[in-house]
Amino acid sequence: MKAILSDWRKSKKFVEQRAELYHLWYRFNPMSSGRKLGDEAASQLASRATLVTTARPTNPTKMKTPLNHLHTARFSRAIFCATILCTLVFSANVLRADETCSSPYLARIDGQEEFVYVWTLGVEGMGDGSDKLVTVDVKPGSPSYGKVVSSSSVDGRNEAHHGGFTDDRRQLWLAGLESSRVFIFDVHTNPAKPKLTRTIDNFAETTGGAVGPHGAYALPGRVLIPCLSNAKDKGGKTALVEYGNDGNYITTHWLPTKEDARGASGAEFADGYGYDARVLPRKNALLTSSFTGWNNYTTDFGKLTADPEAMKHFGNTMVMWDFHARQPKKVFEVPGAPLEIRWAWGDKHNYAFTATALTSKLWLVYADDRGEWQAKEVAPISDVKGGVLPVDISISSDDKTLFVDCFGDGKCRVFDVSDPQKPKQIYEKPIGKQVNMVSQSWDGKRLYFTSSLLARWDKQGADNEQFLRGYTWDGKELKPAFDLDFTALKLGRPHHMLFGSTKIGANRTSVASIR
Amino acid sequence: MVRSFGGGTTSVSSKMPGRDRARPSNCFVLNFDRPFIVAFTLFLPVLAAISFAAEPTRDSDYDYDPPAPGSYSLPVIKPAADGALLDSNNKSVKLRDLTRGRITLLSFIYTRCAAPKACPYATGVLTQIHDLSVDDKTLAKSMRLVSLSFDPEYDTPQRLAAYSDNVRDQKSGCEWSFATAKSRAELETILAAYDQAVDKRQNPADPQGPLYHTLRVFLIDREGRIRNIYSSGTLDPRLVVADVKTLLLENARVSKQ
Repeated sequence: MKAILSDWRKSKKFVEQRAELYHLWYRFNPMSSGRKLGDEAASQLASRATLVTTARPTNPTKMKTPLNHLHTARFSRAIFCATILCTLVFSANVLRADETCSSPYLARIDGQEEFVYVWTLGVEGMGDGSDKLVTVDVKPGSPSYGKVVSSSSVDGRNEAHHGGFTDDRRQLWLAGLESSRVFIFDVHTNPAKPKLTRTIDNFAETTGGAVGPHGAYALPGRVLIPCLSNAKDKGGKTALVEYGNDGNYITTHWLPTKEDARGASGAEFADGYGYDARVLPRKNALLTSSFTGWNNYTTDFGKLTADPEAMKHFGNTMVMWDFHARQPKKVFEVPGAPLEIRWAWGDKHNYAFTATALTSKLWLVYADDRGEWQAKEVAPISDVKGGVLPVDISISSDDKTLFVDCFGDGKCRVFDVSDPQKPKQIYEKPIGKQVNMVSQSWDGKRLYFTSSLLARWDKQGADNEQFLRGYTWDGKELKPAFDLDFTALKLGRPHHMLFGSTKIGANRTSVASIR
Repeated sequence: MVRSFGGGTTSVSSKMPGRDRARPSNCFVLNFDRPFIVAFTLFLPVLAAISFAAEPTRDSDYDYDPPAPGSYSLPVIKPAADGALLDSNNKSVKLRDLTRGRITLLSFIYTRCAAPKACPYATGVLTQIHDLSVDDKTLAKSMRLVSLSFDPEYDTPQRLAAYSDNVRDQKSGCEWSFATAKSRAELETILAAYDQAVDKRQNPADPQGPLYHTLRVFLIDREGRIRNIYSSGTLDPRLVVADVKTLLLENARVSKQ
């Protein structure tokens, strides 16, 4: 019992519970207003309660007040009991929702998503021809459900690709792979109509040569921007870059290479390539994946695949980092361009999935019995000869289901990943002639799909469908909910989706209005 | 007994002899001769939670060994902004004076907050770190804690003084200031400078408190530069102490040069 108490006392919950009691005591004790906090019985009670369990006879200062002093504080005792009750009640998990692949540091949506933000590539001759942030209403029962409610264009075409919120969810950062510009939108003032507030257009110069910013990942007070390339040779060697939420540059961390592994094991595999970067906070683990450099992703897809030399320049690695120290610890050989990373959400689920685009495999990065991080191939994605080019994956919040979008044949394949070491495909559905990104609601009931991969890699002719499609999922089947034709709407090529809402833990009243 | 923090063996490791004296190994004694005591035993975990802090250790929420102090660097994020404050003694102070000269942990809070992962947790971590500084002279003289309320209308200096008395286990240890903004205008400027989001909740009687906010604790070096920003996912007391010690080692290296 003593050992249990001792361990518990050292735990994070100890800190939370004790502090909660302090706060709740303060809130519920009517004597706390304007005078010293109550009769101090609460805090003394605390130390005496400890005496009951640990009886520290060697500490005379604590023994000065015998336990039977408690009878002088009956009122406080009642409040104390109420405090305990309140603590237990308020400690219950608040029901929150969000996209299942968002940063764990991100402020959460209360309830269901209201908007889907779509970072859309401009197409020459289509509408204004510029990249744009398209906002689609997905509020159930809304008259404009499944319709575009606003569109905000940025300057020109930048190879719009990925984006991400700041941790307070007040800003949405959207990156251009080709121009290396980053566009910062205010999504707080009016979530239905985001407004461009700032553009970072000196990315390469500021970051020491990193180019191809690939989205933004919320960290406390800052964003982590994984990049795809470098200004020197426009190849695949690249970096992770940090900016403050205020838009100011902080630092750059280059991916480990054979020449400079920075202490990481597996240096023989290190290629310095980058793509996604995601954190498992409770393990202090940052995992990165790898794709290809500017030279390749700005080249016509047919021309690229016909060039054996160019095809050698794809990433074949993932890297595990000490997140807090931002130091690479281990390089894994994961052949065939491992792209999106999805950490499991379960409290004891120490693993992440990725899919390799060029080899059509599911890979698992996991902590083994000794706590060592390992990577291994766990399942093929289809038996189609030549592969199906899996480009995005989405894990359900209960870690049981993984949706895999395959650009090659336009299908979404669904895997049962209850046993992460043995994924089994349980369903597949054609979404379109081509499909790219997939975003899933926290309750697993709604999924949204877009079509575009890259401006020069999308299919041609009739196969070049450009859409945002909403589906429902009942655990067995994907059923269409709405369909937006981005070509007919003259919007462009839709790529990354992010969820928006007016309900982020509170209404949108500024603190300035508190009187 | 020497216990290393931040997973490292540095010259600034923490000694906690006071703790050892306070917890003899054979001291688990229960007294059942009063009903109220029996009731207490049913709430042992809760009661234990109210006791003074122990050395933070690896647990299921922070399931890793933190990096050794000095084995990594903390980039400068930006200068820590100034502002006019009122402290818990009702004295005018400049935020600048609370963020220079010592390594500072600045925590934005409001005392009515009851969101488990927000102010209560942040203050709990600061209490734990404060307790550590009682037995660590280096921390005691080199570190400062600041709890800054963004609820000045409610968190008057008197209330902050009462709050301070209740969250601080130890009167000795490092400096710990409690303050709030001198005016609403000053508060807005400070919140903007520190990128501290605060919203009024739709329901003022919300059980988690009337304000919604992101949790922010700032690590500020002696020169008044922000070197790290913590939230509930990163506010591991072991990491915070490792960061403080990393800055101390950085200072030591600079002074040697």
